[in-house]
Amino acid sequence: MKLSKLGPWVVGALAMAWVASGLLPSRPVRGMDLDAFGRLPVLEGGRIKPIDSVARNSLLMIRSQMSFRFEEEQGGQKRAHTVGADEWILDVLFRQEVADAQPAFVINDPDVLSLIGQKLSQSNRYFAFKEIRPFLGEIQGQAAAAEPIDTKQRNRFQGAIVNLYQRIDLYLRLQNTVQVPGGRPLAEELATASEPSARERQSLLASAAFFRPLPPQGDLQANWRSVGEALGDAAGGGPSDPGLTSLARVGAAWRSGDAAGFRLAVTELRALGVAARPEAVAHGDHEVVFNRVDPFYSGMVIYVATLLLVFASWLWRPGLLQGSAFALLVAGTVVHTGGLVSRVILQGRPPVTNLYSSAVFVGWGAVVLGLILERIYRKGFGTAVAASAGFASLIVAHHLTGDGDTMEMMRAVLDSNFWLATHVTTITIGYSGTFLAGAIAIAWALRKHLAPSLLPETDKTLVSMAYGVICFALFFSFIGTVLGGIWADQSWGRFWGWDPKENGALLIVLWNAIILHARWGGYIRDRGIMTMAIFGNVITALSWFGVNMLGVGLHSYGFMDKAFWSLSAFCGSQLLLMAVALAPRRFWRGAGGGGAGAGKKAAGVA
Amino acid sequence: MRDNITASFAARKLWELVISLKLTIVCLSLLMLLVVACTLAQVQLGTMAAVNLYMRSFLVWWQVPGTGWSLAIFPGGATVGLVLMVNLAAAQAHRLERSWRKAGIWIVHAGLILLFVGEFVTGVFQVETQLAIEEGQTVNHVEHPREQELAVIDVTDPAWDVVHSIPEGLLADGGVIQLPGTPVALRVRRFWENAQLSVPGPGFQPVANMGVGGNVQVQPLRPVSSDDRTNQPAAVIEPVAAGLSYGFWLVSGQLGAPQQFIHEGRTYSMAMRPRRQYLPYSMTLKKFSHDVYEGTTIPKNFSSLVQLSNPGKGEAREVLIYMNQPLRYGGKAFYQASFGKNDTLSILQVVENPGWLLPYISCSLVGLGLMVHFGISLRRSLRRRAAAAEA
Repeated sequence: MKLSKLGPWVVGALAMAWVASGLLPSRPVRGMDLDAFGRLPVLEGGRIKPIDSVARNSLLMIRSQMSFRFEEEQGGQKRAHTVGADEWILDVLFRQEVADAQPAFVINDPDVLSLIGQKLSQSNRYFAFKEIRPFLGEIQGQAAAAEPIDTKQRNRFQGAIVNLYQRIDLYLRLQNTVQVPGGRPLAEELATASEPSARERQSLLASAAFFRPLPPQGDLQANWRSVGEALGDAAGGGPSDPGLTSLARVGAAWRSGDAAGFRLAVTELRALGVAARPEAVAHGDHEVVFNRVDPFYSGMVIYVATLLLVFASWLWRPGLLQGSAFALLVAGTVVHTGGLVSRVILQGRPPVTNLYSSAVFVGWGAVVLGLILERIYRKGFGTAVAASAGFASLIVAHHLTGDGDTMEMMRAVLDSNFWLATHVTTITIGYSGTFLAGAIAIAWALRKHLAPSLLPETDKTLVSMAYGVICFALFFSFIGTVLGGIWADQSWGRFWGWDPKENGALLIVLWNAIILHARWGGYIRDRGIMTMAIFGNVITALSWFGVNMLGVGLHSYGFMDKAFWSLSAFCGSQLLLMAVALAPRRFWRGAGGGGAGAGKKAAGVA
Repeated sequence: MRDNITASFAARKLWELVISLKLTIVCLSLLMLLVVACTLAQVQLGTMAAVNLYMRSFLVWWQVPGTGWSLAIFPGGATVGLVLMVNLAAAQAHRLERSWRKAGIWIVHAGLILLFVGEFVTGVFQVETQLAIEEGQTVNHVEHPREQELAVIDVTDPAWDVVHSIPEGLLADGGVIQLPGTPVALRVRRFWENAQLSVPGPGFQPVANMGVGGNVQVQPLRPVSSDDRTNQPAAVIEPVAAGLSYGFWLVSGQLGAPQQFIHEGRTYSMAMRPRRQYLPYSMTLKKFSHDVYEGTTIPKNFSSLVQLSNPGKGEAREVLIYMNQPLRYGGKAFYQASFGKNDTLSILQVVENPGWLLPYISCSLVGLGLMVHFGISLRRSLRRRAAAAEA
């Protein structure tokens, strides 16, 4: 008895402690403290962010992972260790020969592999830049041929080669941000800035630089500068940027392994940043915390654990495990919410700004709704459905991060916090509701086939849960759709333009309206509602992602072409689940105890 | 007598159908299918053509391949919308109980009817035009980007132009067009809805014998319907006055400079141009701004600082038009749409829609109604649960 009271608290606290453990700074590399370096603010993509974010996003784009194992030779000894994003970017910037030997590139396409003389059958799909370098000319030629072709029209090879070329381009730009590879180190470059031969390298550094590390000194209106620009200004007789000297010292210390010098130089850079742009330094610190905790990844893990606990609770010690599962769900929700709130604060924008954040928010909405349902009905179903919806949407979000920075700046038309907050948020809550109703319906259908005995009461609970959630979803998707219309009227002069994304939203509204009217008219009963609710998943998925694949209309901000097969597979699975829901009674495992409405044939929709 | 009974029976059946919930569901389902078809068709046809085919039509026509026939194969968006509206109104009047319990539903349905009305008003009355304006320039007209007109301008008086404009549709009808107030008439010899002009190739047959048209080859093209391309109509015109022909002239928007002929000392200039609509006020572009995020080319904002002057009303003021912030003036709304010429040209989208307020009212009604209805339902359900828990 006592255990079942205490258990949930312990489980919840453990989960939170695990998340908080992410806050611990990483171990020093070769004795050097990377933590302070990662916090330094830079300007990239029009946004001020810590170097840590640049490193993580770049490595994620190039390798699809944020760290990798690498064996480095040191004094004849091989030393294998895990290279994190901060260490990687330091090597890319200052020890280019080491970075070139690290397996930072992932290549999965068999045709691209054969282009660089590799076979798919080899277990290794990760390559170092020096392995790719001999084929640069060929890759560039193929990419140049494929690039003019419209993204939708490219075949798999063309898509893959353009993608590889873009990643190589990103890698080379990173390498040319502070000093030219194979050229002089920054300190020497700084000393000889006014030599005529330096001019060429300065303009290369200025044009290639991937980010701008030097905050403007003094003048509030001035721009952040790249190393090349600052060198050029110094060569032109202007004052030398003190940041250049410190940056050069960071590089030299990193190369020589001088831990004390590294710490000192980073501290100087930070002090310069604090003097010039204190708010940028503070922002960098916050964002590094956000990066470390990685709330959406942690949340995903907690949701899986929740799901497993709920399943276990249906077999063993329901009192203890159901409570613990709920506690885990609460912990997951807290982490998920914390992540959303941090994004809002870091970006200064409402929660949904792009496809990635819409996935995060859809999941959050579904989880919160599920929590409420669980408080009302207390059967474990709310927990299970919320955890699976949260997990699924965070997985989807995770796969949408490949485009780089998920907090990119908003294009002009979208630059309106008011409409992002109202239209985009409401419509996304509508998606959450429709998905949640679908998830409840799936639980209902599977339960019919798997549960050894069917209590009519539980059955009724699930149906009324789904019904309530559909009403909720109709409300939010309708309001969201109309608010979108009003936004369109404000910015393009037409309330309703039959744009694909608008149509997608309209389809969700119509479908939810059809379900409710069919129910009110008595044309469908429990089974009908549930089957139609599962189809709601298909419609929502199509209007959320499918219309972006058409590549037409004004909402093409979130264009994506890779997810076609995953989307098709999802829709197929939902159709299968609908068949499961419609399967006659004799297929049910616990056919004996069907509820009042459950056994009756569900009338189809006209 | 018997006929009477049958008739009244049929009428009752029809009425039952009109008010039935089944009809609602059928209409909603049809609407879904139309929306899906319209969305998919946009890839091939472009938004406007797809919307006209599926949504702004009473019937969806299908061109039987290989024949000139069209078959109506599906009710169009306008039909479904109308039926749904009638169904909604009839059901509302007949079936739904008039009680506070159903107040939410009443409000929702009233809002929905208004939404349909709004879409009809938009479909019928909305006019979209453009206003292209360069920095320092003053413009007192808007242009229809998808329609052309033949402007014949008497430019004899340097202080005063007399403009006769002939819409594209009138040219397409052919025949003779008299310019009012002048002795001149235009005989339309040829008309192409869409044609490309090019340098003559081998086997060149001139279509005109006056002006630059004699050295230009006309290549007829299929009319286009997608949003980003427009038709380029061309025509061969024979000006006739006092029984005298002034020859065959080719006119097209692609020709550039206007062409002139002189009759009885008066000079007439002819040119095809986007159809204009003159405004009783004018706009001067003082400054166009195109801001980007620091260190990138990602646009942050576009804005046009415009001097609006309306001498008729004694109005003269500065207006800033920018993203999500249109200028509503004189029944028209001006939106920042595009730009060009190295950020010195601003293109404003101009929309005139008398029903633009309807969606705002209707969505407030529906939102309110849904909230009332689901609120009432939720309270009832919670009460029932509480009662069950007590029992």
